[in-house]
Amino acid sequence: MFALRQSVRRSYVALYLVFMAFVVFGTAYAQDDKVLVVGHAEITEAYDPAHAFNPTSGMVNRVAYNTLVTFPDGDASSIESLLASSWSISEDGLTYTFNLREDVTFANGDPVEAEDVVFSFNRLKNIKAQPSFLTDPIASLEVVDAKTVNITVTEPRPSFLSELANTAFSVTNAEVVQANGGTDAADAAETDGALEFLDQTSAGSGPYLLESWTPQEETVLVRNPNYWGEPPYFDRIIIVNIPEAATQKVALESGNIDLATDLSPDQVVDLEGDDDISIFLGPGRWTHFLLMNRDPDIGGPVADPQVAQAIRLALDYQGFRDLWAGSVTPGSNMWIGLAGAYGQDQSVERDLARAQELMAAAGYADGFDISLSYPDMTWNGVSLSTNAQKIQADLAEIGISVSLNPGEVQVSLEEYRNGQQGFGYWFWGPDKLDPVDFLEFLPGGKVATDRTKWSPEMTSPEILTLIEQAKVESDDAARMELFSQLQDYAQASGAFAPFSVPAVQTAFRADIEGYVWHPQWGLDLALLSRSE
Amino acid sequence: MPIYQYILRRILFAIPLLLGITVVAFLIANAIPADPINANLPQSALNNEALVAAFREKWGLDEPPHIQYLTYLGNLLQGDMGTSIKTQNPILADIRQFLPATVELATFAIVIGLVLGISFGIISAVWRNSFVDYLVRVFALIGVSFPVFLLALVALSVFHAQLGWAAGPGRLGFLVRDPPHVTGFFTIDSLLARQWSTFRNSLAHLVLPSSVLGIYVSGIIARITRSSLLETLGLDYIRTARAKGQLEPRIVLRHALSNALIPVVTMLGVLYGNLLAGAVLTESIFAWPGIGRYAFRASTSQDFPAIMGISMLIALIYVLANFVVDMLYFVIDPRIRYS
Amino acid sequence: MTKTSITKAPTSNSPTLDLQKQLKQLQRHPEVIVGLVVVVAWCLLAIFAPLIAPFDPLEQNIPDRLQTPNSTYWLGTDELGRDIFSRVLYGGRITIPAGLAVIVIDGILGWLIGAVAGYLGGIWDEIMMRLTELFMAFPTIILAMAITAALGPSIRNAVLALVIVRWPNYARLTRGLIIEVKTNDYVEAAKGLGAKAPYLLFKTLLPNSIAPTVVYGTLDIGNAILIFAGLSFLGLGPEPASPEWGRMISIGIDFFDQWWMWLFPGLAIASLVMAFNFIGDGLRDMLDPRLGS
Repeated sequence: MFALRQSVRRSYVALYLVFMAFVVFGTAYAQDDKVLVVGHAEITEAYDPAHAFNPTSGMVNRVAYNTLVTFPDGDASSIESLLASSWSISEDGLTYTFNLREDVTFANGDPVEAEDVVFSFNRLKNIKAQPSFLTDPIASLEVVDAKTVNITVTEPRPSFLSELANTAFSVTNAEVVQANGGTDAADAAETDGALEFLDQTSAGSGPYLLESWTPQEETVLVRNPNYWGEPPYFDRIIIVNIPEAATQKVALESGNIDLATDLSPDQVVDLEGDDDISIFLGPGRWTHFLLMNRDPDIGGPVADPQVAQAIRLALDYQGFRDLWAGSVTPGSNMWIGLAGAYGQDQSVERDLARAQELMAAAGYADGFDISLSYPDMTWNGVSLSTNAQKIQADLAEIGISVSLNPGEVQVSLEEYRNGQQGFGYWFWGPDKLDPVDFLEFLPGGKVATDRTKWSPEMTSPEILTLIEQAKVESDDAARMELFSQLQDYAQASGAFAPFSVPAVQTAFRADIEGYVWHPQWGLDLALLSRSE
Repeated sequence: MPIYQYILRRILFAIPLLLGITVVAFLIANAIPADPINANLPQSALNNEALVAAFREKWGLDEPPHIQYLTYLGNLLQGDMGTSIKTQNPILADIRQFLPATVELATFAIVIGLVLGISFGIISAVWRNSFVDYLVRVFALIGVSFPVFLLALVALSVFHAQLGWAAGPGRLGFLVRDPPHVTGFFTIDSLLARQWSTFRNSLAHLVLPSSVLGIYVSGIIARITRSSLLETLGLDYIRTARAKGQLEPRIVLRHALSNALIPVVTMLGVLYGNLLAGAVLTESIFAWPGIGRYAFRASTSQDFPAIMGISMLIALIYVLANFVVDMLYFVIDPRIRYS
Repeated sequence: MTKTSITKAPTSNSPTLDLQKQLKQLQRHPEVIVGLVVVVAWCLLAIFAPLIAPFDPLEQNIPDRLQTPNSTYWLGTDELGRDIFSRVLYGGRITIPAGLAVIVIDGILGWLIGAVAGYLGGIWDEIMMRLTELFMAFPTIILAMAITAALGPSIRNAVLALVIVRWPNYARLTRGLIIEVKTNDYVEAAKGLGAKAPYLLFKTLLPNSIAPTVVYGTLDIGNAILIFAGLSFLGLGPEPASPEWGRMISIGIDFFDQWWMWLFPGLAIASLVMAFNFIGDGLRDMLDPRLGS
């Protein structure tokens, strides 16, 4: 039964050749002009706006939903209207009244009303998920009439409007979400069942609809046929998860994708001579930093503020700038793009001698061993593993022997959010495009207290007073002064070591127009078009 | 012994093996130092007392370990392998989603490996100790000595990135929609749906990963074919055929090969099991959404229910493949009788 | 990837060590010599790496990053400006001991289990055989992945995982040999003369079963090295900065174009594994002529 004739063998070879020939045909397939394909390293665990709090979901929810107010394209210094046509703030600065636009409908044709706003914000608050903390300043929500909503805050909050521009405050269609198991009740954390629904489709009023999401594979958006504003150019946007920068580059060069969000600086340099490719380079929004847990049981030696300071002095900042073309060294954990943030000129300078003195003063003249936890990923072309290896080498010079502990992204993220990491490497993009965002890195703030156990009790009453003042001060100059003092404090005694803000680099096919990058949501998909 | 009796015996023997596999899976899944609740439920569910209680109830976590195992086995028999922490889907559903991609890849690889390996083995044996033989033996050695991930990288960087001849990572181009799901094999499904361009596209994406795995398989097959063909060519009945004046190609292909291929067939079951596992490395480089990449992701995220599901699945496939090979052996060589 | 079966263990006609005959045979198998030379060369390079390597394998030199091979950096530099040549040399210091450790531990462990089971026979033999079948049914790399994932990635745990997944091959090999030798007349005779069982086991059976285990180990070390490199390629072995070959290759996924970063460590693995395969194949042919050409 195994008698192979020569002809049979020959036909096997022929078959193989035919098979190989398909390679040639297979690579050349037509592109549909109204489809945009984005190559992107996906990082999100959800698209439900009340759960999602990640860069990928920010980009998608920016076009799938609308917020009450928003930022102008590519600019974060002012606020403009979106669902709310106008708003007013009460004398005491506590009550915000928003008047909703009359012409706005959800994708299914329902009008957007005050009920929807209140439902969405209450659901965000009660579901107790990652972005829920954004509702902390809200004391109460009130439906005045179908098109008017009142929001009362607990204390005057100059940053409140820019906080409302976050995609977490996306307004969802209450009726649709409720019909699919959603609730805004106080026990929503246990009883809400709309997560799965909202991960697969959107219930918003944005220019696009979420059509499907296959985690770690692709996200598909289609144009919202009932969009109330100017219709976007593309009928369909496919966001393909391509975690490897090298693959994104090849896919872009061959025209299989239109836009690559995660190229490394080295690859961008490579692409500069290519006429088919355009490159956007801009200041990045991600501050890469080390966190040093203040709980001695978790952080060990790095819980000592002197050791933290020694680590800040031991990092080779110039080396990080050389490593990532276009990157800058931040002067603090306040995003360098914000008014008043310390930039490179105010950053810590490497001083190994001083670092060693501090180590000795802390009782670690001979150094110590510690494990550095970080997510094993490449973010916007920056490999965290590469940076971690550099940190390892830098700290070895003051006797700290670092072992690297890369973790799967979501696992590591959970440890970080639960404050289980003693010595960690993370990156931070501002949740709120306002200096108050920096308060997360000071005692009482989310990153400091929840993730680093740096609690208000560990700091002086003077600093706590400064923090409280910074939240409510509405005079710009006075505010700047407060934030300067806080940045000085954090850089001298804080639990973090910010070390690099890599540039944003996006490469796209030369026929793609309308590329605008925004520090809040990154790429604005609805503004893109293809030249014809 | 009649064949049905033999089959029955084989099945009876397989049962303790399969049970043992579940024990090992259970032991490893429970050897983790972490609290099983933490390890098995997503963070969002931990605050939910009802969910936690339901999970405890379902897997008998308040019971002693042997009862837990029986509960586990009971759930398993009902087709419930647990829920993946990472994807939050039932593991069986995940397997259904990811397995076809791997099986398709492994099947193409084994076909390429067989065609190349047998051809090379024949050439090598017929012209033994010649230059061609030498080349084939070097090729076979490369196939088994080069790390499969190095071959994959070389293939991708040369044929895809530099020359642009072959399609890159993934099962289909970014713009190509999946064919309607029938079998999960994109080549078959696209043909069934008469989507010719999708068919071409899926083939184009199969070429590099299946060739890389195929080279590894062909190295092994070429070696076996060569040595067993050489042995067969020295046997009496071949001499008789030669004496009768039959032409050499006819002797090799008609008389010798069928016997010489028996060891190759014996190897197939093992090879197929190895290929499924070996796909882990290939899949991670070629972004192939198969069971290997799924298992890798599961193991880096400590998704033990998923890892054990996959291990059990592949162990099961291995046992079945060997069973089928045994049957095949029985058919090929009727002289063999089992006692 | 596992390749248990190509490296088919020599089962019958236990080889005898006749040095003169073996040396003569060695002349007919030049590939064994070539393999030995390469393996010895790699071992020497690994041992003397600190003397030969022009740079510290961990020393970062960012201004010189991503250089193509040149007169200063013979094999180029990586993304942090580390010298690839020095790293490849140092890589041998991890891979060769790891491969050897797996084979030696498995050789001893498998030999003991197999010998005891084969000698005692009966129910013990049955249990051992079922147990090995069980382990062999699991996919090597996935089982190893699960074990390293549970224990945490490190060189030690990767080696441990390999030991756990590969011992059955050795146990089965030894068991077969022991059963064969046990029935030999002279063992029966010794028993008849009142020799004690453990004494017999070690005095008589040991020399007869050790040579095949060594041959099988030589054939298997290439596989062990490949799986070890595969685990560390996946990030389940030594830590990121380590100059381990598999780990170095994994960076290639991000740097297609910088081929020198991943090709040289890849060739290092391939040359070492190929050399071991040369030796293993040659030894098998020499000791079991039926399998040779």
